[in-house]
Amino acid sequence: MDIIVCVKHVPDTAEAELTIDETGKDIRKTGLVFDINEWDNYAVEEALLLKEKYGGKITAITIGPKEAEETLRKCIAKGVDEAIRLTDDLFKGSDGYATARILCSAIKSLNLKYDLILTGAQAGDDGYAQVGVTLAELLGVQHVSLVKKIAEVKDDALKVHRELEGGLEEVVEVKKPVVLTIQTGINEPRYVSIAGVRKAAKKEIKVLGAADIGLKAEDVGEAGSPTVLEKLFIPPVTKQAEILTGDVSEVSKKLVSILKEKGLI
Amino acid sequence: MKEILVLVEHRRGEIRDVTFEMLSEAVRFAKKIGGSVSALILGYGVQEYAKIISDYANQVLVVEDEKLKEFNSEAYQKVLVKVIGERKPFLTLIGHTAIGMDLAPALSATLNIPLTTDCICIDVEDGKLVAIRQYYGGKVNGKVVFKESESYMVTVRAGVFSPEKPEPPLGGGIISIPSPLTDEDVKYKKFIEYVEAEKGEVDISSADIIVDIGRGIKDAKNIPIVEEFAKAIGGVLACSRPVVDKGWLPKDRQIGISGKTVKPKLHIALGVSGAFQHVAGMKGGLIIAVNKDPKAPIFNVADYGIVEDMFKVIPILKDLILELKGKK
Amino acid sequence: MEDPIQKLNLFGCMQCAICSGSCPIFLKFDGFNIRKIIHEAVFSRELPKLSENEVWGCTTCGTCMIRCPRDLKPFETVLEVRSKLIEEGGIPPTIRDALESVYKHGNPWGRIRDKRSEWAEDLSIEKPKEGETVPLLYFVCCSVAYDPRAQSIGRALVNIFRKTGLNFKTFGNEENCCGNEVYHMGEKGLFEILVEDNLNLFNQYNIELMVTSSPHCYNAFKNLYTGINFEVKHYTQLLSDLIDKGKLKFSKSIEKVVTYHDPCFLGKRNNIYDEPRKIIESIPGVKFVEFILTRSQSLCCEGGGGRMWFDLPNGRLAERRIEEASEIGAEIILTSCPFCLINLEDAVKTTGKEDVIRVMDIAEFVSEAL
Repeated sequence: MDIIVCVKHVPDTAEAELTIDETGKDIRKTGLVFDINEWDNYAVEEALLLKEKYGGKITAITIGPKEAEETLRKCIAKGVDEAIRLTDDLFKGSDGYATARILCSAIKSLNLKYDLILTGAQAGDDGYAQVGVTLAELLGVQHVSLVKKIAEVKDDALKVHRELEGGLEEVVEVKKPVVLTIQTGINEPRYVSIAGVRKAAKKEIKVLGAADIGLKAEDVGEAGSPTVLEKLFIPPVTKQAEILTGDVSEVSKKLVSILKEKGLI
Repeated sequence: MKEILVLVEHRRGEIRDVTFEMLSEAVRFAKKIGGSVSALILGYGVQEYAKIISDYANQVLVVEDEKLKEFNSEAYQKVLVKVIGERKPFLTLIGHTAIGMDLAPALSATLNIPLTTDCICIDVEDGKLVAIRQYYGGKVNGKVVFKESESYMVTVRAGVFSPEKPEPPLGGGIISIPSPLTDEDVKYKKFIEYVEAEKGEVDISSADIIVDIGRGIKDAKNIPIVEEFAKAIGGVLACSRPVVDKGWLPKDRQIGISGKTVKPKLHIALGVSGAFQHVAGMKGGLIIAVNKDPKAPIFNVADYGIVEDMFKVIPILKDLILELKGKK
Repeated sequence: MEDPIQKLNLFGCMQCAICSGSCPIFLKFDGFNIRKIIHEAVFSRELPKLSENEVWGCTTCGTCMIRCPRDLKPFETVLEVRSKLIEEGGIPPTIRDALESVYKHGNPWGRIRDKRSEWAEDLSIEKPKEGETVPLLYFVCCSVAYDPRAQSIGRALVNIFRKTGLNFKTFGNEENCCGNEVYHMGEKGLFEILVEDNLNLFNQYNIELMVTSSPHCYNAFKNLYTGINFEVKHYTQLLSDLIDKGKLKFSKSIEKVVTYHDPCFLGKRNNIYDEPRKIIESIPGVKFVEFILTRSQSLCCEGGGGRMWFDLPNGRLAERRIEEASEIGAEIILTSCPFCLINLEDAVKTTGKEDVIRVMDIAEFVSEAL
């Protein structure tokens, strides 16, 4: 079973204090630690598990600068067979649709064979949850998003579990070829050792630009995006650990009204 | 008159909350831009829904088809491409939910409609549509603008807009749209069944609401009390390591460095001191802490705190919440 | 590739079972039998397949090593198995996360580097300048930097250094994990990177003496690193020196019954037993009682060897220590290791003894009595 995995090299921003950069359209990234997008990490692991069971080849593709090769090397070290990095100044400002178009062009122009394409359900930096499903549509194949489990692999179809809200799942049968967007928790990603990554450094990574995959300036970047991020801004800061005052009954009432206001109950 | 089309989301006999949130926002937005709100229901045997929804919309469009009984993106897509393609609404709102994520990006690509997702605000500036959404895990907001188009599409984050029943109810007329689906149209994807999370297999790392207990629970006999509270609030019970060590909850409920990482929308920590080993597994959402000790480190990570014996607070909270839910 | 059986000299094992008989983990979990593991390895001429608890349950306390009549290091067999699994990638997720965190952030706690010196925000501690001679470099430790309970060790030591007029510096946010736990979790490649990065950092300055909060950091720099050209001490050795030279004076009397829990990495692994006791006994008013399991028999708190990121069932042995402390009538348990401090503190809570027994690091105790 041949699989393509789309991965993204993103900054870890969970604890960091973020500031907006000079362009006003992105955050300042100096000092941030980058790693493979969490959802994509689960997708890579799922691809590896499928390869271990059914054989076949795994190709990892990313769109990113040279540093993104760190993520590709980790994938190779874990057992991914080929890695491709797509890069071009023209790609800058691409929204979810344009990003999917770039991946689609690469897959088509390189004539990559696949039974499955796995992507993370969303990226930790922009959270669009858009690229995987859009890619499926552009390629003319089926898709299932938020996959929590690949239950059965048949000759021409897959039976998968999708994560719905509230702990509920739905089981869907879908014909191959298919794009699955992978939800976190589907598996437990393996560790890759430093020694393992060092060994992977020898493997060649194919690097391609817009022209190499048949794309022009108007197809990509802001020019090729139906939506444009005009600016980023820090939302107004809310107080930390506001202690509710009053007797037991009063604080309880206050809390319930806060939860209701925030749509949490 | 600009049409704002809202996709009604329903599952297992219930219209999901996000629908009412979107309809309310659509009504507010429509007033602003001089538009009308149409609700679109796809399903089978959904006339009762149409009656409920008609209070919230100027028009209710219903497409009935057995192939639409359960959500199936292949079937839904074919219908929506036709309806949206023909009506060309100014704006289509879909929930940023399991259904929305499976649907909106594909619709946007097929219909060539600009789409941005998971929006927390929609507005017009200089006559142009803008949307606000969050980036970097909610730490930064972004303003998204759209290329000139006849139609736009936005998926809406659940729980952000407040649902308000229009007073007086809008009383939208119910219009049946014949289903365009043939057997040929739904052949690649099939809904099989729903699977509930079994009791012993609760995955706290995907829970939306977590009730987190610590040493403050003091004794195994107190577990049922918090279990009832968790049930009332619709949450899942989780804990810090000492509770697991004592054998009061299974290991899969443990949050922390040697347990699981959780990212619920609401995290209520009861009698949890906030030791770093535990807090390290708490990655987000609104955090409420209840602890007798005003110096407990949990108050450094919580958004709201109650300094009180958890056993005094829980019964009152539980009753208030049940009362609130009873009203709905 | 070197045969692990030869490398560890396992043929020397005479299967006397003193190792498993002394092993604190075997005491509470008979699934982990180090003698049997060695027997299997020798018999099959390869590293045995072990369960997850067997591989990751060992605390590397070294009890087996100091008791072995053949001078073997039985626990190193476990380290070899760990290294093999690390290369294969199938390790517990919590261990994986700790290792990835060390690589990305320089500490195993998943915290970012920018917040490493938050504990010392208001203490105005200086970092050394390039090429500077540093008479005393205080190596803080990831746990002291980030764990809210262990941070008081740092504040206490800073207080002690200042009150005794010692001119000290720290690396601030540039401090990196020493790698002791990384080594004992079997990630040799990552350990090598840490050694290289740390030596590069150290060599930028002319350090005369480095003092650590943690016996684990002490163990790494003293025994695992090559290329360190300055003296390394655990802080108890420094304070003991100061007492000998009459430079550590106490102004308060602490009228408490105290006992001392020997950290495995200070005691069993590095033979430092007397200095902590000298410090405790020089504090006025203190009535010192020994644990029954004392010195090299100290009952491991189950924090070393990666155990801070891996649980075995049924709590930690630290809880038995609390009971033991009650039996000997101690009001305060003193220790000198951040892991022991954290585990004993947790154990006081799970045994419900918060109002009866207090756990403190020697540094905190000394700081209170200055």
